[in-house]
Amino acid sequence: MNRDPSPFRTASTASTATSPTPKYANLTASTNLRYSLTRKSIYDRHLNRTKTSELSKSAFAFLFGEMVQYAQKKVYGVQDLEKKLNLHGYAVGQRFLELLLWRDGRTAKRETRILGILQFISHQLYRAIFQKQADTLEKVRENDDEYMISDNDPVVNTYISVPKEMSQLNCGAFIAGIIEAVLDGHCFPAKVTAHTAPNEMWPGRTVFLIKFEPEVLEREALRVGS
Amino acid sequence: MAKKEQASCSSTANLQPTLSQPHPSAASAAPASPQARFRYLATMVVYAVLILNKAGGLIYQRDFNPGLQKLSSNDYLILAGTFHGVHAITSQISPTNDSASSGLEVLESENFVMRCFQTLTGTKFLVFAEPRQPNLDVVVRRVYELYADYVMKNPFYQIEMPIRSEGFDRHLTSYIKPHQ
Amino acid sequence: MVVYSFFIFDRHCECIYIRQWLDTTSSATQPLSRPVTASSATTVAISVVEKPTSGSKLSMAEQAKLVFGVIFSLRNMVKKLCGPDDSFLCYRTGQYKLHYYETLSSLRFVMLTDIRTESLKSSLHQVYVNLYVEYVVKNPLSPVEHGGGEGVNNEMFELGIDSFVRTIP
Repeated sequence: MNRDPSPFRTASTASTATSPTPKYANLTASTNLRYSLTRKSIYDRHLNRTKTSELSKSAFAFLFGEMVQYAQKKVYGVQDLEKKLNLHGYAVGQRFLELLLWRDGRTAKRETRILGILQFISHQLYRAIFQKQADTLEKVRENDDEYMISDNDPVVNTYISVPKEMSQLNCGAFIAGIIEAVLDGHCFPAKVTAHTAPNEMWPGRTVFLIKFEPEVLEREALRVGS
Repeated sequence: MAKKEQASCSSTANLQPTLSQPHPSAASAAPASPQARFRYLATMVVYAVLILNKAGGLIYQRDFNPGLQKLSSNDYLILAGTFHGVHAITSQISPTNDSASSGLEVLESENFVMRCFQTLTGTKFLVFAEPRQPNLDVVVRRVYELYADYVMKNPFYQIEMPIRSEGFDRHLTSYIKPHQ
Repeated sequence: MVVYSFFIFDRHCECIYIRQWLDTTSSATQPLSRPVTASSATTVAISVVEKPTSGSKLSMAEQAKLVFGVIFSLRNMVKKLCGPDDSFLCYRTGQYKLHYYETLSSLRFVMLTDIRTESLKSSLHQVYVNLYVEYVVKNPLSPVEHGGGEGVNNEMFELGIDSFVRTIP
């Protein structure tokens, strides 16, 4: 038993061998970050309190910029980076959908039709995040399973100039991730990608291409048939 | 989400001159709206904008209107380095006893006037314009603002390195040459 | 307006004349000769007392070298940017304004004033024409080259400069 190879065991003996860290010894209720004595932590606030509050665009831009830089460190190529940003957005979207539906209270409902969910995204979701509606919502003519939501000037891209060697990149992939998560949350599995589609008025115009999985269309067809 | 940050500057008093509006119509419009600012600048001829980093390296150079000689990029680098040194000396030879003396702010010659603005972090903005332009302070301040927005907030910009930002170029052009 | 100092550099880039005036409004070493009132700060205040060199941050000779370095660089910079026809006139910092005038014979006149002063280009030209040419060039006792300021610092020229500075608006 002396030579117990269990890592748990060795870890505990190692910690007793060194002097106990005073960090934990001193931690009292007053210094605990999570439970403040005044009960003013963000966990104690009502969820609706931040519903109408505004965020500094600069603060967001700096944070988002750092996020993009961080994501850039561990990727190979543009597609990989977009996937990473998409994943970041996905995590946000999952949580945000929950909050959004909770805030709607009794009027909240789960969309079951493709058109309904797309409108939910381009109206309610967009308004809740960006305080505006998405600029257009279109169906791709050639493919039945593809839809496009366009944003003339995505907030995340306001201050971003993509270098020429990465011209394929659109950091709107983050928003695409949010949209994907919301679609997933409503049981509409889909792939969402962000593409730069500039026009004369809007050099930063971005199109989010939504490609639904085949089972979604199958279900939709059954519903229409009934 | 639409709050605009105010770029900080060392000599606030100098950079907020009384705006003498050339058109009464411009004055009646909301002064903060970008349209009013564009209209206001339409009468001004800006030759070039240069940005120097805190080590005196040239990180941005762009000509807007003909008026200055075309120099090679190497000459521009030398010029930036020279100016960086001169700027430091001009604050040293101040005849007054104030300890906090600024370096060169306005340079005038027969054919142009140059406004230099140094931020608290040591970055220098040089704006060259036609002589007798009264509101270069406003221009320089706006350039600083655009720099803070479209250069510093761009995740692909490496600090102290040459600026290659398409958004900065675009906004600078639409501010300095709105009708072209 | 306040004139702080005045320099002349010859065509060999040597400083041949330095003059410094003390600004009584900002000096603590100079005893005040008249009661300070609200208006006295705004009135023209020029004293012709030589400033003691120990009080200033740099010695005058050192300062002259720095001044020359600055005007030489700026002059070259201006000529490079705008062609050889352009000439550097003045620059301003937060504390002072430097006026520059160069003659065709490469004599350089430099005057440091407060920042509210208008362009002194014509005034410096007047100094050259009415004082330098009259009292230095035309003076039979003055040498052709003014190494070490020889010949420039004569009494007539000094008096002329003093009275001239008082007349600058």
